[in-house]
Amino acid sequence: MDDNIEILGTCLYLKKEKALVIADLHIGYEEYLNKTGVLVPRFQFGETMEALDKLTDGRDFQTVIINGDLKHEFGSISRTEWRQTLRILDYLSEISEKIVLVKGNHDTILGPIAKRRNLKTVDEYQLGKYFFCHGHQMPEVIPSNSTLIIGHEHPAVGIRDGVRTEVFKCFIEGECEGRRIIVMPSSNPVVEGSNLLRDKILSPVLKGCELKEFKVYVVSDKIYDFGRVRDLL
Amino acid sequence: MLTYKKEPDKPSQVFKILNPLVERWFMSKFKELSLPQRYGVLEIHSRNNILISAPTGATKTLTGFMAILNELADSAQKGILEDRIYCIYISPLKALNYDIEHNLMEPLEEMEKIHGEELGIRVAVRTGDTTAAEKSRMLKKPPHILITTPESLGILLSSIKFRENLRGVQWVVVDEIHALAENKRGVHLSLSLERLEELSPHITRVGLSATIAPLEEIAGFLVGSKRPCKIVDVQFIKEMDLKVLSPVPDLIDVTQRDMHDKMYKLLHGLIQQHKTSLIFTNTRAGTERVVHFLKDKFPGKYVGNIGAHHGSLSKEHRHGIEKRLREGKLKVVVSSTSLELGIDIGYIDLVVLLGSPKSVARALQRVGRSGHQLHSTTKGRIIVLDRDDLVECSVLLKSAIEKKIDRIHIPKNCLDVLAQHIVGMAIDRDWTEKEMLDTIRQSYCFSELKRTEFEGVLSFLAGEYTSLEDRHVYARIRRKDGVIKRRGKLGRVIYMTNIGTIPDQSGVAVKVGKQKVGTIDEGFLERLRKRDVFVLGGDTYEFRYARGQVAHVEPTRHKPPTVPSWFSEMLPLSFDLANQIGHFRWMMEDMFRNGASKEEVMQFINNHVYVDENAASSIYKYFREQWDYKEVMPTEKTILVEHFKDEENNKMLFHTLYGRRVNDVLSRALAYGISKTTRKDVGVGINDNGFYVELGKKMEIMPAFKLLKSDELPELMKQAIDKTEVLKRRFRHCAGRALMILRNYMGRTKRVGRQQMSSHILLSAVKKISNDFPILAEARREVLEDQMDIDSAAEVLRRIESGEVEIKEIDTNLPTPFGMTLAYQGKIDILRMEDRQEFLKKVHQMLLAKINLQQARKNKR
Repeated sequence: MDDNIEILGTCLYLKKEKALVIADLHIGYEEYLNKTGVLVPRFQFGETMEALDKLTDGRDFQTVIINGDLKHEFGSISRTEWRQTLRILDYLSEISEKIVLVKGNHDTILGPIAKRRNLKTVDEYQLGKYFFCHGHQMPEVIPSNSTLIIGHEHPAVGIRDGVRTEVFKCFIEGECEGRRIIVMPSSNPVVEGSNLLRDKILSPVLKGCELKEFKVYVVSDKIYDFGRVRDLL
Repeated sequence: MLTYKKEPDKPSQVFKILNPLVERWFMSKFKELSLPQRYGVLEIHSRNNILISAPTGATKTLTGFMAILNELADSAQKGILEDRIYCIYISPLKALNYDIEHNLMEPLEEMEKIHGEELGIRVAVRTGDTTAAEKSRMLKKPPHILITTPESLGILLSSIKFRENLRGVQWVVVDEIHALAENKRGVHLSLSLERLEELSPHITRVGLSATIAPLEEIAGFLVGSKRPCKIVDVQFIKEMDLKVLSPVPDLIDVTQRDMHDKMYKLLHGLIQQHKTSLIFTNTRAGTERVVHFLKDKFPGKYVGNIGAHHGSLSKEHRHGIEKRLREGKLKVVVSSTSLELGIDIGYIDLVVLLGSPKSVARALQRVGRSGHQLHSTTKGRIIVLDRDDLVECSVLLKSAIEKKIDRIHIPKNCLDVLAQHIVGMAIDRDWTEKEMLDTIRQSYCFSELKRTEFEGVLSFLAGEYTSLEDRHVYARIRRKDGVIKRRGKLGRVIYMTNIGTIPDQSGVAVKVGKQKVGTIDEGFLERLRKRDVFVLGGDTYEFRYARGQVAHVEPTRHKPPTVPSWFSEMLPLSFDLANQIGHFRWMMEDMFRNGASKEEVMQFINNHVYVDENAASSIYKYFREQWDYKEVMPTEKTILVEHFKDEENNKMLFHTLYGRRVNDVLSRALAYGISKTTRKDVGVGINDNGFYVELGKKMEIMPAFKLLKSDELPELMKQAIDKTEVLKRRFRHCAGRALMILRNYMGRTKRVGRQQMSSHILLSAVKKISNDFPILAEARREVLEDQMDIDSAAEVLRRIESGEVEIKEIDTNLPTPFGMTLAYQGKIDILRMEDRQEFLKKVHQMLLAKINLQQARKNKR
């Protein structure tokens, strides 16, 4: 992407700022499914912790930015979910100096959880030349020359050869109305994402953007530069 | 203890048991007892279980009800008619239910007229459409005859109050049993009947069936694994006038346009010569097309007197068509498959089948819709559209005339349906595991259920696959010390609102703007990318984007399809009929091999199959061309393997004429065998007549084919379908039936898209728990046994192993005539053998190469 950005699995690492960016963890997604009558057994939390452990790999960070939808909320929160969310926050505060919680559309009651750990929640956050917001609504002002980094979209692409199609999570990056935008995939191991090559775009931030010209970085065992969206169509 | 009743009873014996009123009513309406009545009435009166197989319109329904009405009328006259349910009538169609209600009310009213006062016999329909007011009325004053569907019966069995009304029922009548026995609705019903038996011991079971085989199996399905049943076979009492017609003398030397014109001319001619015609097209899109072209080609002839009838049309539209049919206002009705079942559609004097109906039983059921009175002749015409169709339909017709009906497949040991019923049973009362298993095993569909399978389902339902702490979320039942109890306050509501076996329509709607133009399969949507062009219902569309379960497209005219078209709606050729065709091919080959003259072969064709001169000469030419090309023919004794290679293709064509359900298994087993050693994806294509495997550069196929063994097939196929779309799709359906994904929960209904997403997540989670998780195992069973036909595929392999069938190989650069259709058809699926990451790397490198190339070109310029 640029010299200052490294892709770590589904997360971003900003070298100069020593910042780790995570989007759309959706903790409690399986519990949410349970509450809608789907008896999916719970593997998500263990897998999330494992994945975080692997990608942070003993590094220390100045800042961890959670770019929205830390928790997948639906009605009441169970004790297990409280515990899990706090455990992830505790884990992240162990490896960083500061945690920034950016609010997402699923974070309507993120406040109480943040309070428990003396954290504040923000709608948007500026760090160096990077501007973070979740992406479910258009920020009122974006400082010029900032790179906009969002989540929400859960981007993925269907890679096809012959009859076979496999869907992979991806980052996309491109220019829109003179501004550079990076869209991050969901860091939830259970959620696959929506196929950019097939589904309609969700985020208002991306409305009117020439997505075909966006670059695609596929996330798998490592990161694969897949050229531009139009090359995959 | 299944016995055929060979002789009908004497009319006098039947009349002897009739109440005078009923006898007077009968004689006022009919001259004499029909044959089914002479076979059935006395048995039903004597409380003997009975299965009656007769064509539509053969007074089957009245046969089923006569003894029952007789008893009710008799009791009513004597003043001893109690306020309880005497008879439950079950049919697969709601529409049929209202028909039956009407057909019962009429005789009752007529009897009351003769009698001069009311008899007070109540008949009521209970379906998903029944209002709350009607339900509460039924509860207070139960009908004497309750008309319902399998699903509604399931609900009634577990409803606290109504359940009491189901005690002491004397008869249960299952209508159109052939249409239920072959799918999971039937499996569900078979357990419901056992639960009903609990409340009404020794209930008399009456089954009514259209043409079907084997009747012993259907009878077993009706009465369960151990009870006696009499079988009455009057399937062939109607005279049949059946013919295969070819629109043109030569089905190959003809342009598409010419064929099209001639076909509609033929169709139009047939319609005009008859009073009312019913046309079956096999697919919904085909139905629309035929209506369109009849109107278009014969202006003024088809205005207001033509109708389309298929499952995608609204209920109002379909009812309107049925009503106008009954009133004799329609000249012609075109249907996909929806008019196969026995709703009263009035007088039809001709049934036309466009293209092969793929099974003898289905052909007979369809043409049986004509000549609705007992003594009128059944008239059917099959119009063939290509040469394979011609051969298939000719043999089909021969089998029909010679009464060789293909065998039905009844699903067994369906663990998802079992799970649903166990939840229901636990809601009713407490059970010991032993008595529960004993009850379940009474059902024909579960008579061989293994104890371990049963316990696996109990363990699943008790949530034992999750930690003790979380179990309260997952458990649907309580299981302790060998006793099963219900669990949770919501248990009953969850069960009642999610009962049934029919999965939510999984089709993805295809729309141009707001206009729906058809449906495609979920699996097909998964493959689509923006700007892909595909064919749907004869038209070409460009895919724009998907939103939930809707694919937005735009019509295109000049772009060639970029993805192969979709066949999910196609009916599979039955294995038995396929074998008959193989036999015909073998006899033909024998003649050619022995140098028979054209006259001799033509003579043979005319004697053997019942076709006209046009058709016979087309058949001759087709076989002659095949023989002359390489002097080899695929038959019942020879599997021809054709290595077809030209500039664009490199395929191994396997001429395995066993129907697509079998070919699906053989092709996947083979592709899996190959890819296991090469670790590469292998493309496969199938149709009813064979399959092909698409080759990469250097692959040896025949050694892999020879390695396929009948006894290893189940294990091999278990692995081969592991990552397929079909398994994913069936898993969603099974998870729904087993109440693992609730469609209706806490007052919300889940859309199919949501169910699908949840089921993907659920499937991967379940696999982490155990590869033999009951619901996953059931999804596999459904794919391999119900959708595909692994048993017959193993039978084919056994024939190869025993030397009964030999394999011949040839090389071609132009496919043999018999292989033509197969050679040029698209791939249906791919065996995903290559590792996901390897696959990604490969595509990545290909893409980089492409981009580099483009870059280089640009730089050059």
